[in-house]
Order: sequence, then structure tokens, then C-alpha cells
Amino acid sequence: MGIQQPISYDALVRRDRVHGRLYTDPAVFSDEMDRIYHSGWVFVAHASEVPNMGDYLRRQIGRQPVIVTRDAHNEVRVLFNRCTHRGTMICAKERGNTATFTCPYHGWTFGVGGELRGVHLPAGMGSGFEKSEMGLAGPPRMQIYRGFIFASLAADGQSFDDYLGRGKELIDRACDMSPDGEIELSAGWLKHRFHANWKMIPENNTDGYHVYAAHASLLKATNPFASFAFDEDKGDISITRDWGGGHTEIDFSPGYRRKGKPFLWFGGVSEAKLPNYVARMEQAYGKEQARKSMMDGPPHAIIFPNLFLGEMNISFMVPIAANEVLQYYTPMLLKGAPEVNVRALRQGEGAMGPGSFLLPDDATMSERNQLGLAAQSPEWLDLRRGLEREYVDENTGLLSSGISDEVTNRAFWSHYLQVMSRAA
Amino acid sequence: MALPESEMREIEAFLIVEARLADESRYDEWEALWTDDALYWVPRRPDIDPAKEVSHIYDNRQRIGTRIRQLKSGFRHSQTPASPMRRVLSNIEIAPAGAGEYEVAANFMLMELAIQSTRNMNFWGGRIQYRLRRVDGQLRMAVKKIMLIDADEPIANLAFLV
Repeated sequence: MGIQQPISYDALVRRDRVHGRLYTDPAVFSDEMDRIYHSGWVFVAHASEVPNMGDYLRRQIGRQPVIVTRDAHNEVRVLFNRCTHRGTMICAKERGNTATFTCPYHGWTFGVGGELRGVHLPAGMGSGFEKSEMGLAGPPRMQIYRGFIFASLAADGQSFDDYLGRGKELIDRACDMSPDGEIELSAGWLKHRFHANWKMIPENNTDGYHVYAAHASLLKATNPFASFAFDEDKGDISITRDWGGGHTEIDFSPGYRRKGKPFLWFGGVSEAKLPNYVARMEQAYGKEQARKSMMDGPPHAIIFPNLFLGEMNISFMVPIAANEVLQYYTPMLLKGAPEVNVRALRQGEGAMGPGSFLLPDDATMSERNQLGLAAQSPEWLDLRRGLEREYVDENTGLLSSGISDEVTNRAFWSHYLQVMSRAA
Repeated sequence: MALPESEMREIEAFLIVEARLADESRYDEWEALWTDDALYWVPRRPDIDPAKEVSHIYDNRQRIGTRIRQLKSGFRHSQTPASPMRRVLSNIEIAPAGAGEYEVAANFMLMELAIQSTRNMNFWGGRIQYRLRRVDGQLRMAVKKIMLIDADEPIANLAFLV
């Protein structure tokens, strides 16, 4: 067996195109696990998913299984789901509440903070054995921003503040839809498996160009969103943005503002049906800011690499292989807004998940991309749309263009290249 | 109270027709089986409260109509062409539930060929609870709650009639 040549990523990612190999080659996937998922910052869970002491749930960071817990000091912890004795996956249940995790293999018992509590027949472990050194391991770095839990499996590297950068503004906008400034992810996750490369998800989720073709069936069955995004005469209404750091956005608010009605992002529900929400928002943020939030709606944005702020839904993905990915979705419930939340559940079911009106068609497109990419000619995927008309917006300072332009995909790839070019 | 044999047979025949119409993606005929207060429900777990948790599908009659229009649009890519399917119903239990209504439950297995993309054969299975009602002499479906064994796991597209 020959030694694998390191992949030269700057030969595969150009400003106006990317190479098909990036979606199909298992060696690229392996590099992505090392350089993006096993050393960079990734979204893991939301603190509202473990609200009480002893709560836990299982997740995955890249290929590595973790448990997110709320420990005895009421702190969120991220721990590897691996017994320190022989490597057994210690927690099999997806979520629950417990005082301890007991390994089913030899009976070692750990607290919810990961500390080793007890060992069966300890005398045989010898004189150097210290329980305090044998607690469950965890990612060396963990940070929480407004409830969003991120972790990095590398002790050193880019700081969390540098990583999230101006993506904070996007998370702020999502959280500030709640009069209490907090979201709650308590509605459960819909989980979707499809046979496509994970990068198609961040690309697709802020691609405004596919809507008319890929979602034509929904536009024919109902007309929920198209008129906010495009104008038949003038073309694009809404805006795509590069927030830096691989974070990207489609901003639908220009379309909503043109129509001049709040809640168009929420099925156009009338204010009269949400009186308590409107009142509490005005009380919390002042009339002007509350009106702005209710007009503009929550963000539609990707936080690199795996988190999607999908308006009134939160979504994340788990890459499985070069040609397989899982996508999770849950409605974004707003603390202090019960009359919004019950509608958010039904709206989420309409838009998100394997049985919804939108996502199955996206999944099929991603699978068909993957099937098409088995053809090796042409070698490149085209990314030039809007290159000649993108601009730096004066108000935000961000590279922007119309909704149908590929500013967002180029933003993803330029950051990807930066990360993948770091020495492994 | 046991139902007469003929009534049991009639209900079973209704379930078998409903299953065949779904298998064959005969959208209009399938839609016509529903009552006006319909609920077509695929929960993530059998016991969830739909006022607090999200489901894969929680369609009222109006949303069933939208679903059918979408499937018939010719552009529902995740069902274009429609998945070839066959399902088997078994372990059927039938109980009367008030005037002209029945609570029915059955186990099912469904084989679905994802012909639109991967051509993978997907295996689906679980338990279905139906609420049937006699409307103008004909049986109609008021509730179909499909409890997939793997509803809380990552699953493939569920864009067909399940």
C-alpha cells in the first residue's frame, strides 16, 4: 500500500468553482473530520435541553460519541461516552435524568459530572490507581453562548470568540424573538438520514436559488414564501450575506417590509391572534425594536460548520461518511411566548423533517447531487452566480447580494479552504 | 361487546383498501377516505403530547389536502416518480367506540423503494391506530396514527402516504 499524498485543497477550491472530489472522496471526509469536526468548534446541543440537575442526552462530535449533562453543580458538561476502563459506551439511552452512569461491562460508576465514583473490587487495581484521574474525559474546550453549547476537541487553536465572530449577531436575533431573550429546545428532534455529503446541507440551507425549482411542488400547492423572496419583474428582493467565518445568511426581511405586515415569516398570522406576545415584546424591547423583530422575523442562517438557525426552527447535522449525513430539526420555542409556541410546532412540522413539505425535496436533491457527482466530468461545480454583482453593504459591512446569488456558498467555501489548509 | 362477524369483515376490508390506495399512490381515492375532522399523525413517540412536542406529520384535513395537492403537482421531487410500495397489515384489533365509531389497531410492515434517488429499499414498520366512523352508511377514517418503530431515529424521506 502506498503512502497517501496529502490533498492540496487550494487546488480544489476556487473563488468561482469547487471540485467534485470534495463531495465524494473518503480521504477528504477523513481530513474534514480531523480539521473541522475533531479540532474546530462545533455546535453540540442547547442548554435548555438539559434544564435540570442530572439531565443528560447523547450527541456526536464528528465521529465521537458524547453525553451532554447538567452536573451536581448545575453546570452543563460535555463528556465522552466511553468508560475509562475498557472503552465501553457507557450511556445507551438517548436522554434522561440520572445521578450516575454505571458501565454495564465491569460495573464502574461515574457521576453526571464524569467523576469516577466507584470501582468493583478496587483492591486489584493496584497502588497507583487514583479514582480522581479516571473520570470520564471530555472535550478540552466548551463554551456556551446564549444557551448554544459549542465544543472543540483541540486544547489549542482558534478562540471561541474568533470562531463565532459576527455569528453572535445571528444567534442574538434568534434569541431576541423571545420576550425573555431565551429560546427553549424542548419539542424533541426530528431526525433525517440521507445519502449525501454533509456540505450540501450548509450550502443548500442558505441557497436562495433552488427554491423555485426544488420546491416548485409546494409553490403550486400553496404560496407561502416565494413573493417575499423574488419579484417576477425586478428579480431578487431578499438578500444573501457572508458573515465571515463560514457563517452565512439569507435575509428575507426586505420582502416582508415591502409588504409592510408583521409575522409574514410566521404564516402571516394576524397580531390579534398573538396579543400577549405582542404586548410582552413591546414591554421587553420597547415598541420600535419589538415592531422590527416582528416584521423582520428570526434569522435564516448557517453557523459553520453544523448549525442552522432556520427561522422558527433549529437544525444541526451529523456527518456519517462522504455520502451519508444525518440532519436533526426542532421548532425554536420562545420562552415567555406560549401562544407562539403551539403555532411554531405546527409550522415546524410543515417545513422541517422527513415527512414535511420542504425537507424531503431538499434531501432528494442532495442525494441526486451525490449520484450525479459520480460522473467525473465536468470536474468542477459552478459557483459564479452573482460574482459580478455582489457588493459590500454599507450598513452591515458584509459582502451581500440578491437572494438567488451564491454569495453564501462562496462564503462557506472560502472559510472551508482556510480551515482545511491548516496543517493536520 | 363483540361486534358481529360481518361488521368485523367490513372494517378489515376498509383497512385493506386504504392500505392498497396508499401503496399505489392513488391520491384522490385515498384523500376521499377521510372525514372532515381528520387527523393524519406520525408522532416521534407513541405517547407525545402534540401541544408540546413536534411530530413527523400532524395533518388536519386542510393540511392533508395540501399534502395531496403537492403530491399531485408533478414537482414533488421526493415522490417523482412515486415510490413503489407494498404493505402488510396484521394483528388487527377492532373495538366499538360509540355510535357508528370504531377504534382499530393493527401492526404493519411496509417495503418502499426509493426510486427517485438512491433506489434503496426502505423497510418501515410499526403499529397503526385508526378511528373509523360510519358516515352516510360508508366507513371513513377520522384518525390514522402511525407509530413507526424507528420514529425517534434518523429516518429516510417520509414523503409517500404511510
